[in-house]
Amino acid sequence: MKILENLTKINRRYIFLLVALAVIFPLVIPMKLPTIPGKYTIKLYDFIDQIPPQSQPILIAADYSPSMMPELQPMLEAVIRHCFAKGIRIVVLTLDPNGAVLSETALQKIAPEYGAVNGRDYAFLGFKPGSSIVMMSIGENFRQAFPTDFYGTPLDSLPMMNGIRNYADVPLVLSIAGSAITQGWINYAHTRYHANVGAGCTAVSTADYYPFLQAGQLVGLLNGMKGASEYEYLNKKNGYSSAAPVATKGMNAVSIVHLLLMLFIILGNIGYLVTRHNQSKK
Amino acid sequence: MKRQIPLIIVLTLGIFFFIQFFVPSQVSTNIYQITLQWTIVISAFAIVLAVGSLFNHHMLKIKRRKPHWWNSIVTLAALVVMALLGILGRWRGLEKLGDLYHTLFLYVQAPMDSAMFAILAFYMASAAYRAFRARSQEAALLLISGFIVMLGVIPFGSMIWSRIPDIAEWILMVPNMAAKRGILFGVGLGMTATSLKIILGIERSWLGGGGK
Repeated sequence: MKILENLTKINRRYIFLLVALAVIFPLVIPMKLPTIPGKYTIKLYDFIDQIPPQSQPILIAADYSPSMMPELQPMLEAVIRHCFAKGIRIVVLTLDPNGAVLSETALQKIAPEYGAVNGRDYAFLGFKPGSSIVMMSIGENFRQAFPTDFYGTPLDSLPMMNGIRNYADVPLVLSIAGSAITQGWINYAHTRYHANVGAGCTAVSTADYYPFLQAGQLVGLLNGMKGASEYEYLNKKNGYSSAAPVATKGMNAVSIVHLLLMLFIILGNIGYLVTRHNQSKK
Repeated sequence: MKRQIPLIIVLTLGIFFFIQFFVPSQVSTNIYQITLQWTIVISAFAIVLAVGSLFNHHMLKIKRRKPHWWNSIVTLAALVVMALLGILGRWRGLEKLGDLYHTLFLYVQAPMDSAMFAILAFYMASAAYRAFRARSQEAALLLISGFIVMLGVIPFGSMIWSRIPDIAEWILMVPNMAAKRGILFGVGLGMTATSLKIILGIERSWLGGGGK
């Protein structure tokens, strides 16, 4: 019984060590855990998949900083791969000052894989401060918030921006964010300007977006590392990408850490219940 | 006058833009577009203020030799170096500086930032082990639902029983959503009430002085 009581007193250093091992092992030793795409990942994937090639571009807002990069960067890369493979044009911008380098890096890495050309297949607008104001400005005209792209080229000089004025000319606004900024896109781009909005968020903030999903204000949702791995799986299944599945590898580590966490909670509760039972006896 | 002029501006513009939303005439749309441009410019000044404030804070720490003041030197040096590389790197002929900015961002700032976030996993594991206890019926209910949701989002959930992900989704979509909606309604009503109080000049704490 003393052993069971001691279950409440495991030194946190051992917990840290086990968590570290639970993260490292699945990343080093490949595991083949199944990926079953969720309903909202499939909805977003299908929505993008049904956009005709070379039609109006989709707008991707990569509003996150490096702290959320492990979850959100694979998501952005998977979506870009899907679009380039299908010939869907994209406009990428960011409302987070740290997001510019991250999204530009993703574009520069993936564009050569598909032979995508800046200005023809994609446009990178960079960062602009004043999030909600920028969202409202785009509702009037892209050029109001972004007269030029990130490299200083006027938007009117980019062939793919011909005839693209505001939200009415983009079939989807996809907000990939690690903060509540997605709610801004819902409030302004969807509610005020009636744009279709999709989202990708960190796992901890997923629950915040369920009300918007149920109300039809979001066309789909990518839920953290899980959503990114599901998108990678769908890309691979449809032959759109042969890139290494970064999120799928990460999801293996997340799964093992979840199991470890549950094990610790069970142990802690066994110890707590035994201690309480013993105390009530006394 | 120092307080009355801002109050008049807020009252006038607050009422104007409220009406403008419902009157989509060419004149009102033009005014709206010009105001949006102005607001973007004003937003950019927030960055200038932030940099100024950061600079002052750390300069003061260095001058007064406060504990760990040398960290402030590193912060200011990083601020100046990154800003210079970022600005100069966009000029023709100085692209190498831009590449250096990219390298420093991706291989110094990004790993440090990600590591800070990753440390959370360790603390969460330790905190969940210590605090997630079935002390009461409500706590036990929370524990069980937390367990199901955790299992439901990983592949092991469906490997144990194919319905676990569905149950996890039900928990998120029904009880969680009921609570969430209540909170969102409260936040929405609170925002509306505060906006009205600011427009009508009842709430004045934004003028400084803690609402006195």
